[in-house]
Amino acid sequence: MSVRPSRKLAELVAPERPSLHLIPQRPLAQPRSRAHELWIGAHLPQLALEALTGPAHALSGPLAIVEQQGRASHIVAANEQAAHSGVRAGMSVATALALLPHLTVKPRDVHRERALLERLALCAQRFTPRVSLERPDGLLLEVKGSLHLFDGAAKLGASFLAACGACGARPRLALAPTPCAALAAARFGKPFEVMDAARLTGALAPLPLAVLRWSPEALERLARIGVRTIGEALRLPRAGFARRFGREMLGALDRLLGRSPDLRTSFRAPERFRVRRGFLYEVEGHDALLAALAPLIEDLAHFLQARQCGITELECRLGHRHAPVTPCILRLAAPAAHSHRLQTLLAERLMVLPWPEPVRSCELRSGRLVPLPLDTNELWQPGEHGGGGSQAASTDLIECLRARLGVESVHALEIHATHRPEDASRAQLAIGTQPATSADRLAGIAADSAADGAPPWLAYRRPLWLLARPQLLPQVDGLPQWRGPLRLLGEPERIETGWWENNEIARDYYHAIDSSGARVWVFRERVKPHRWFLHGMFG
Amino acid sequence: MLGDPRLASLLNNPAIWRGSSAARTSTVPTGFPRLDAQLPGQGWPQVGVVEILIPHLAIGELYLVLPALAFLSRQPQARWCAWMAPPEGPFSEKGLRPFHACGPLELFAPALTAHGVSLSRVLVVRAEAPLWACEQALRSGACDVVLAWVRRAPARSVRRLQLATERGRTLAFLFRTLSAQTLREPSRAAVRLALQPASGGVRLKLLKCRGGSRGDLLITFSQDLR
Repeated sequence: MSVRPSRKLAELVAPERPSLHLIPQRPLAQPRSRAHELWIGAHLPQLALEALTGPAHALSGPLAIVEQQGRASHIVAANEQAAHSGVRAGMSVATALALLPHLTVKPRDVHRERALLERLALCAQRFTPRVSLERPDGLLLEVKGSLHLFDGAAKLGASFLAACGACGARPRLALAPTPCAALAAARFGKPFEVMDAARLTGALAPLPLAVLRWSPEALERLARIGVRTIGEALRLPRAGFARRFGREMLGALDRLLGRSPDLRTSFRAPERFRVRRGFLYEVEGHDALLAALAPLIEDLAHFLQARQCGITELECRLGHRHAPVTPCILRLAAPAAHSHRLQTLLAERLMVLPWPEPVRSCELRSGRLVPLPLDTNELWQPGEHGGGGSQAASTDLIECLRARLGVESVHALEIHATHRPEDASRAQLAIGTQPATSADRLAGIAADSAADGAPPWLAYRRPLWLLARPQLLPQVDGLPQWRGPLRLLGEPERIETGWWENNEIARDYYHAIDSSGARVWVFRERVKPHRWFLHGMFG
Repeated sequence: MLGDPRLASLLNNPAIWRGSSAARTSTVPTGFPRLDAQLPGQGWPQVGVVEILIPHLAIGELYLVLPALAFLSRQPQARWCAWMAPPEGPFSEKGLRPFHACGPLELFAPALTAHGVSLSRVLVVRAEAPLWACEQALRSGACDVVLAWVRRAPARSVRRLQLATERGRTLAFLFRTLSAQTLREPSRAAVRLALQPASGGVRLKLLKCRGGSRGDLLITFSQDLR
């Protein structure tokens, strides 16, 4: 383990020689402080490009990534050829296209950026267990303990760069005793390698404050008093700095120099469960298959229990002798971890799934693990002493019904504030399972009662059943017939609305009773030919 | 007769077990005082199957149960009020057969709200096999009340539903066709009644009632529901 600065990493990262003469050397009389930690900061300036195109972006024509912000869209990254013509990040798309008419413009994909960053973190875990993500475009590796395994910082850095290159990313690296310093130096872009904590302050001094990613307002205020580099900021009196810019920024400076501890959460690779089992015999019939799947689901449940996690997606793949694999995907509304529940739902799903041939093998693949919320049981059983149903029972029921009947078959209802009866009631597929706290429940009830009085047309009597399509009724002497003559009751209610949506209705609605005593809702068109329709049934 | 002090003292003897005491369970007020008086415990049983036989749809059978639904859905700890397999169309004269010409019937949310049912508790389930879905909902313990429309329900399946209600502590309203055959067949439902349309309300015939007595009633709805 070496404490003397090694220049190899710096040379490797960038061919030009580092400007080390700027760093003031400490007098030899002072004892050299050994750093407890050594961090490699990795900054990915071209992450937006690399996430979309991989390493090939340098070979294609001029390319820029744009992000929509409000109504304007601006460039977030440009490849070398575009940059050569003057396209810079922060430019508006119109300006960039004016500079370079054949510029290819692609929208930014934040999800792919995040995925690439996580992939790089996985690569980095080869070198050290302590890797943390610095979203959106940085990684931190604590490498103090690994240096001797990889024969020094230079070789470790080279291996890491090679691993990143295989993933299609080219990060800029910096080595420093504190994570903030490593990251800031990596963002600056010049080679930076400090292993000695005592030399850190001097090495950081020439870096511009922008690498700390403080708010633009704060940076501007600092610039107005002539403070542009980290060294200049460090020279300001602490008390005054805290008063003017807040304790948080002072804390950031302290963490930068290692004066106050800086704790990082280590990245943990997302885990999945996957198990495959081949059968010695061909399985036919649902019951036999479920019995064969049961031990696999038990294993899955133990796996989940040990991690206190649940899954929201489970794929069961059934292998056959000749036919292609039959996939069966189970999607859950709430994370599940109990074998009984998973087994019940999978049984419902498999029940409606046809398979072409007997099953020779099966495989379970879980989706991403999600933390399981802790649940408490109610003191009272549902239905007694006002005890409500538990959240779990409600979710179970909805998932069980949906697994068998399909997602659209189970829904809640919501009122849409419109006069047109066809649109006033809508199916709501996102079913909120019951509110958890009693305060929520009371709020929900209060909102409902408020809704009761609100729309004025609620004062009119509406049928409980509405026909999906109004049914044309035959008429005799201008009066509607349905299973015999209909007796109209009371005054009509006129609904005339919707002309602004090209969906105009002009109707006179009547309550009516048919010859057998059924109460129905009929309407007569106000425009010729004045047809009669059946539209609803009272309960 | 019950006012007789000698009879009252005799009935207080714990050795005497009366039929009506079996029904001392929690109940839900029906919203109709005359019906409350007829039912044991002054209301629908909170647990059990209530079988309602109707000649056809929309004679007022929902108005009969809506006050209870509104009451249950407004409880602070209310569970779901599930509508299983709402009928597919206006029933033809022959009974609960869908009238295919006009598409499915849809539950109309504003009307439910107008009757005081809290929409946040309403769950609609469309099922080809309503008995299966109904049993799942009843035994899950996630529902306060389940309404189901079934065309054919063998006596055995009604018994299954009754057992499921006891497990999930749920009230089930089962709407079935009124016919000579359904009137005759035995039923394990806690309450069984037949409805006939009447002016301003329904004529209710209590066919069976655990711990209560049979009887005929004329239920009149309030003026604005007629």
